[in-house]
Amino acid sequence: MIPKIHFRQRIQLWGLLLVLPALLFFIVFKFGPMLWAIFLSFSSFDMVSAPHFEGFGNYEALIYDDVFKESLVNTFIYIGGSTLLITVVGLSLALAVSVGGPTARLSMMAMFLTNLVPIIAVCLIWRFLLHPYGLVTQVLSIFGADRVNWLTDSRYAMPVIILVTVWRFAPYFMIVFLAGILAIPNDYYEAARLDGANAWRRFWAITIPLLSPTIFFVVVVSALMSARIFLMPYIITGGGPGNSTRVLSMLIYETGFSYFKMGRAAAISVVLFAIMMLFTYLQMRISQKGEQVYTA
Amino acid sequence: MLLILHKKGDRVMSDSKNNQGLQVTNSDQESKSQLDKNSAQRRKLILAGGAATIGASVVPYDVVFAQGKAPMELAFWMFENPQQRPWVHKRIKMYMEKNPHIKIDFQAFPFSDLGKKLSVGFATGTAPEGFITGDWLMPTWMSKGLIAPLDVTKLGYSSMVAFTSDYPAAFVDGAVVNGKAYGYPLWFYGFPNYINTRHFKEVGLDPIKNAPQTWDEVGEVSKRLAIKEGNKFVRQGFKFAMHASTWTMVHFNPILAQCGGTYFDKDGKCVVNSAAGMKAMTIRTSFAKKYNSEDPADSIATQPLPGMDWLKERNSMFISHPIPVAAIKSQNQKMFDEKYYRAIRAPGVEAGKGYSTTYGFNFVISSQASQAKAEVLHDLYKFILSDAADCWTDTAPFPLAKKSGWSDAPEVKAFPDMGEIIDSRDKGIFHPRTVVFTELADAMHKAVQKILLNNQDMKTALNEAAAEVDRATASYKKS
Repeated sequence: MIPKIHFRQRIQLWGLLLVLPALLFFIVFKFGPMLWAIFLSFSSFDMVSAPHFEGFGNYEALIYDDVFKESLVNTFIYIGGSTLLITVVGLSLALAVSVGGPTARLSMMAMFLTNLVPIIAVCLIWRFLLHPYGLVTQVLSIFGADRVNWLTDSRYAMPVIILVTVWRFAPYFMIVFLAGILAIPNDYYEAARLDGANAWRRFWAITIPLLSPTIFFVVVVSALMSARIFLMPYIITGGGPGNSTRVLSMLIYETGFSYFKMGRAAAISVVLFAIMMLFTYLQMRISQKGEQVYTA
Repeated sequence: MLLILHKKGDRVMSDSKNNQGLQVTNSDQESKSQLDKNSAQRRKLILAGGAATIGASVVPYDVVFAQGKAPMELAFWMFENPQQRPWVHKRIKMYMEKNPHIKIDFQAFPFSDLGKKLSVGFATGTAPEGFITGDWLMPTWMSKGLIAPLDVTKLGYSSMVAFTSDYPAAFVDGAVVNGKAYGYPLWFYGFPNYINTRHFKEVGLDPIKNAPQTWDEVGEVSKRLAIKEGNKFVRQGFKFAMHASTWTMVHFNPILAQCGGTYFDKDGKCVVNSAAGMKAMTIRTSFAKKYNSEDPADSIATQPLPGMDWLKERNSMFISHPIPVAAIKSQNQKMFDEKYYRAIRAPGVEAGKGYSTTYGFNFVISSQASQAKAEVLHDLYKFILSDAADCWTDTAPFPLAKKSGWSDAPEVKAFPDMGEIIDSRDKGIFHPRTVVFTELADAMHKAVQKILLNNQDMKTALNEAAAEVDRATASYKKS
C-alpha cells in the first residue's frame, strides 16, 4: 500500500528528484574532494601507502617553511596586483567601448580575441616576446632603453606575470562590465546632464554606484581566479628566479606531485582555501556596507 | 614461478662513491617463522630457477620471445626523446608482431614529467606494468616498494654474477639491492664537453692543443671565444644549462666532487653550504661573474634540446650528453656538413682529472604487475636489448650500459669522438642516490638562480638550499 502523498509534497519530491543529479555531482566531484583534501591535510600520504594521521604536523611544518612563506607573500602580491588591474583595465575598456565610435565594436572583438588564445600559447608567446633579446626589448631599444631581463630579474618577473594575466583576462571582464554599463538606464545620465553634472561627476555619482554589484562580482571572481593561477608562472618563469614568482598553487603541485607529499600539499591548499574564504567574506561585507550607504 | 616479489623489509643501499643523503631503509622486521617460511620458499624458487635456467639455455631466442597464447594487455611508459623513444617503440611493435596475443599500450611522456605521471599512476592504480626510469629515481621507487626484483635468468643471464659483470659496477650499484636486481640497465652516458672547432680557429685557438682541461682553462678560453655587442652577447664562450633543475645537477655535480665536496654528510645532513660547496659554486658562477663569457639570463634551451644554444652556435662550448648526429643535422646543416665540432673530456679542477656526471636508464617492472605480466615483461626487455647493433644504428651515439656485444662493432668504433663518449660514461660520477633527489635538484637550481640572477650572497643562497633539503629529509624520515 503506497501512502497517500499530498499534491504539494509530490511537487517537492519531484523538485528534489530533479535537483538530485546536480546535487550528487557536487557531492562527488566538489565537496567530496574538498573534504578528502581537508582530511589529507592532517595526514601523511605519499600517494602509495595508505595515509596515516599526524594531526597538525603538516600545518606546523608550513610555519617553518621559508619557501611556503615566500610563496604566500607572492600569492598575495599576485592576487592584489592582478585583481586591481583586471578591474581597472576591464572597466576602462568597457567605458571606452560604451562611449561608442566607428571602431568600438571592432576594438571590442579584437580585445576579446586574447581570451580565445589557449593559455599555454599565451604563456609561450610572452616568454619569447620578453626574452632578453626578444621583441619587447628590441622595440624599447629604439627609444634608447637598456636591456631588461623581464623574466629573469626578480624585480620584474612578478609584475610581468601580472601584466600578462591582465592582458589575457581583462577583456573578458570588459564584457561583464559592458553588460553592467548598458543596463544602467540612460534617464539617470540625462537628468544629471540637465542638472549640470560633468562626465566625471556622472561617472562617480551614477556609473560606479550602479555598477557596484558588477564590480563586486569582477573583484571576487578575478581574485578567486588569480588565487588558483598556475600555468602563467609555471610556464613563463617556472616560479623563478629563485622563488620570486612561486605562488601557492605551484607549490601545491610541486609538493604533491614532485615530492610525493600529498598531506603537505593538501595543507597548503586548505590554507589557500581559507584565505580565499576570508577574502570573499570581507568583500561581501564591504559590498553590503556600500549598498546600505547607497540606499540610505 | 621464478619471480621473487619485493618484500617490505628490503634495504636500499646507496653507492659509496657519491654522497648519500637519506639512506632508504625500511625497518620492518619479519618474524623468525616468516623468515624460515621464506627461506624454504626461496630454496624452492632457486631449485625451480636452476631448472628453468637450464631449460632456457637450450631454447633458441625466437622461441623464448614468443609467449603462450593467452591474450594479455599491458602498459609500458618511457620518456620522450627524438631517437630513443622511436627505437624502443619499434622494438615493442616487433615484439607484438611475434606475439600477436600480447597488446602493449606504449606511452611516452616529456622527460621531466615521467616521474610525476608514474607516481600519480601508482596512487590511482593506473601505473604501467613496465617502464623505463632514470637511475637517480631508483631509490624513490625502491624505497616505496613500487618496483619488483627482476629474475636475471629470464633476461638471459646465467646468474646474478653474470648479470652484474656485464656492466660497469657503478651502473648496477643503484639497481642491485641485497643481491636482487631491480633494474635492467639500458643506456648509460657521461657528458663530454662539446666544442665548436670553427669558433676556436676564428680566435686563433687550436681545437686540439688548446682544448681546455681545467675549469680555469675553460674560463680563459671562453673569454676569448665570447663576442659581445654592448650588453648583448652575440656569442657566449661557454654555457651552463639554466633551463631545468636536473641539468643544474648534471653540471654542478662533478664540480662539487672535484672540489672535495658532497651533498650530504654521513648523518644525512645537507652540507652543500660547506667550504667545498662554496668553492664549487664559485667555479659554477665564474663564467658569468668572473670571465663574463656567458649570459645566464639568455637561453633557448628546452628539455628535449638542452644543447640548442650550442647547436645554433650561440655559444662555443657546452657540456652535454652525447649529441646525436641527427640532432646536429636537423638543427645546423652547416655544422653537420663541415663537421666543425668535437667532444672533449669534461674539465676538472686539476688538469687531466676531469670528469662529468654519468647517468642512465633502467627497464623496471612494477610490483603491482601480475606474475604473468612480469614474465612477459622480462621477455620483452630481453627482446628489446637483444639487437645491440640495431639500437646503435637508431640511437647513436647514446652508449648502451652493457660492456659486451656492441662497443667493438666497427660502426661504433668509427663513430666520431666515440672514445671520448665511452670515456665520459665510464669515468663519470653519478647523481647522489637519495630519496630527496628532486628536492635537492630544485633547491640547487634555485640557489644558482638566486646567485646569478638575483645577485644574492652565495653563502646565504647555499644555506637556504641546505635548509630546504634538510626539511625534505626530515619530512621523509617522519613519514
